[in-house]
Amino acid sequence: MISPRQPAVYNSPIAEMLIPSPGFSSRASSLLLVLCFWLTPLSYGADWSTPEQELARKIAAVTGPGTVALEVVDRASLNKKDVDDISRGLRVHLETLGLRAVKPEQAAATVQVSLSENLQSSVWVAEIHQGAGEFSVVMVTAPRLDEATFAGEPAPLNIRKIPLWSQEERILDVAVLEEGSSPSHLAVLDPDKVALYRFTDGRWQREQVMEVIHSRPWPRDMRGRLVPRQDHLLDAYLPGVICQSSNSTPISLACRASDDPWPLSSSFTLGGFFAPTRNYFTGVFSPGIGKLSSTGKFFSAAPIPRQNYTLWMFATVDGQIHLLDGITDQTTRWNWGSDLTSVKTLCGSGWQILATRPSDNVTDSVRAYELPDREPVLASQAVDFAGGVTALWTEAKGSTAIVVSRNAETGNYDAFRLAITCGQ
Amino acid sequence: MLFGWRSLVVSSLLFGMVATAETRPQYGGTLHVATRIAPASFDPADNSQPDSVARRNLSRLMFDTLVVMDHRGHLQPALATSWQAAPGSQRWQFWLRRGVKFHDGLPLTPEAVAASLRVPNPGWNVSAGVDSVVIEREAAAPDLPAELARARNGIAKRGAGGSVIGTGPFHASDWQPGKKLSLSAYEEYWGGRAFLDAIEVEMGRSNRDQLIALELGKTDIAEVATEQAQRTIGNGRRVVTSAPVELMALVFSRDKQSSEEGKQRDVLALSIDRASIRSVVLQGVGEPSGALLPNWVTGYAFVFSSDQNLGRARQERSEIQHAPAWTLGYDAGDPLARVIAERIALNARDAGITVQTTMSANPDLRLTRLVLSSPNPRIALPAVAAAAGVGAPNLNSNSIDELYQAENAILQTQRLVPLFQLPAGFALSSALQDWSEDRDGTWHMDDVWLGSTRP
Repeated sequence: MISPRQPAVYNSPIAEMLIPSPGFSSRASSLLLVLCFWLTPLSYGADWSTPEQELARKIAAVTGPGTVALEVVDRASLNKKDVDDISRGLRVHLETLGLRAVKPEQAAATVQVSLSENLQSSVWVAEIHQGAGEFSVVMVTAPRLDEATFAGEPAPLNIRKIPLWSQEERILDVAVLEEGSSPSHLAVLDPDKVALYRFTDGRWQREQVMEVIHSRPWPRDMRGRLVPRQDHLLDAYLPGVICQSSNSTPISLACRASDDPWPLSSSFTLGGFFAPTRNYFTGVFSPGIGKLSSTGKFFSAAPIPRQNYTLWMFATVDGQIHLLDGITDQTTRWNWGSDLTSVKTLCGSGWQILATRPSDNVTDSVRAYELPDREPVLASQAVDFAGGVTALWTEAKGSTAIVVSRNAETGNYDAFRLAITCGQ
Repeated sequence: MLFGWRSLVVSSLLFGMVATAETRPQYGGTLHVATRIAPASFDPADNSQPDSVARRNLSRLMFDTLVVMDHRGHLQPALATSWQAAPGSQRWQFWLRRGVKFHDGLPLTPEAVAASLRVPNPGWNVSAGVDSVVIEREAAAPDLPAELARARNGIAKRGAGGSVIGTGPFHASDWQPGKKLSLSAYEEYWGGRAFLDAIEVEMGRSNRDQLIALELGKTDIAEVATEQAQRTIGNGRRVVTSAPVELMALVFSRDKQSSEEGKQRDVLALSIDRASIRSVVLQGVGEPSGALLPNWVTGYAFVFSSDQNLGRARQERSEIQHAPAWTLGYDAGDPLARVIAERIALNARDAGITVQTTMSANPDLRLTRLVLSSPNPRIALPAVAAAAGVGAPNLNSNSIDELYQAENAILQTQRLVPLFQLPAGFALSSALQDWSEDRDGTWHMDDVWLGSTRP
């Protein structure tokens, strides 16, 4: 049985659950968001009619029918349109209850409605003054309007930022599994699961969720990678764990403890060993770069092919960039962030590096660079994100990258595809 | 100049994040913290230790709670992954997270959780199930999960000789009561090993000493007194503050004995010029308040006027035949309290009432700081009532009207006169990365890491 005041089940018990299953609303917002796949900004309308009605009823219960002077004051930093809508709605509901809004000098009662808020709710407070100094206060609560907004695409110059997915849970990686003119089948990796979505009937529908089984606690600043495969759908690489999907339907996911190296590139065969209790690679890689088989602990790596060799760049945990050409390990500082990757395109030299950039605020940005010799040359303007970048991986086809950032306003993780366009 | 907590928290508003976004968190390093408090015990259930934001935050480093409250005031799983109330909300069941271990390596069991919760809550009936604990209360307790999110309900295993261990992200490696606490990262922490290797806490340091230590690079976190917040920011320090979490109020030592005494209390309340005190003494920090709970907790605090009304105060004073002189006590160790008490005495004199400041143990009224016990108003309000010696309000529903009426009823007793809602402020070294705190001042130290810019 359920308590009449509030739902008894706050969080359904799931024995194996390590982190709670997200609410439907977050999924719904994600689906809504991805519906606007090609960059249409979302707009959120608010339905204030229920609290308007309730507050009007409470005011009328105090004043009775007659004339009233109504003033609405915003104490919650709402936008003017919302305040005007609420004010208008209140007047309409008061009128249906026999209370006509008039000027103060003509009113039997004056009502000041403050649109306030507390930690969890909007709080609308009506302070009612009637004749002979009679003063009453009535109030109602309403759900807070979460002003979840999604950044539209900035004017693209060289890097095009295409929204793919957004959710409350940390997104470790996103893989586009099928696409025609636009993606039609997505896999989203988070610390608990791989979720598969298909775009059908004009909206994204979840096809399947496959749980990621692991025995040890995940490290902080957790990272993970999805790699689509030819003989089965995908592999998921997580700290100390590797999961492989089956090649039959319904698809299952077999996870095992493993310190096998993670693939560092979709174009070159090089794997890096990831520290299972940390957020970085150990610095050891396989099968090796020429004569070299290790460098410093690193966060990310990117290859740039040369005529006779491949130059690898590693963003190490000490903030430096290591350049490995198979013979030497050259150390430099380029004022880059922790995440870099490279993409093969039809622009410029044919290969660009995408790198995050240090900043002194909570936002982050990614820029494209060419590397004609051993010094980077800026090749694009920055593409900005509304929060720190938490993942940057090249996609399987090698020409685009997936970037995930945590939106500092909404707290959601937003995944984008970054595509370089030429000559703009 | 308006300079409240809203302006102070600018740097920490985005989920409290004060991080540079350019680099991934780095593991390692020792964080140094200085505090004014000097507790003799960190047992979360030890009520003999004064409550404070700093104490709660240090406690949370070592002791997890069954649930936590997020930055929006919503409850989230912690040691309990789910919970359910029986009809009537008197009986609650909490299912425990699997695989959690105490700092001694032994598993967290329902029996251990039940034993822990019985200590701070002797009136509760707590029993252990197979994978859960059941809590039964004598009356409906719809806010029990929020109560369990309080630091005082941190899960602790108490051993012989007063030893106490938890399951939190850090474990105590050295503890000199009232002086120093050394913490080390717990490698097996269920939420993921903290980035920091260790935290060193120096206790019993004055605010001035703390700021000097920060300047010299000897500490990374220093408490900032309310009246020093603006100056500290002006000196280029990085300061983060919570929303208001502390009520400064006048609390009378007894109930009013007559309607005339009630009127005299009203005169005192009307005479106080909170705006001037805030501007001059508090240096623009904090919010004048006629309410017991801050507006960010209730949403209606502005209804209770905090304006000085000297005309009405004098009018009411003229209606009192006998207005005895009152003694006003304050904490001698709180320099801010002394100055504010003296201002209140001056204001009262303007209205025709004699108030003498004193450090005696039994004044007629006392200038008191009351720490917000929870962001949940239905938990916080009874706590304020208890601190003021007023009976617990009857809160049976989630109705905002009922909450307002209950707060109004407490104020009508005239046992206390609210003055200011004050934030908690901390100055941070530039080496601190990914610092975040909730509006109630709760730190998220397990996410903090040290950059390379240590002075």
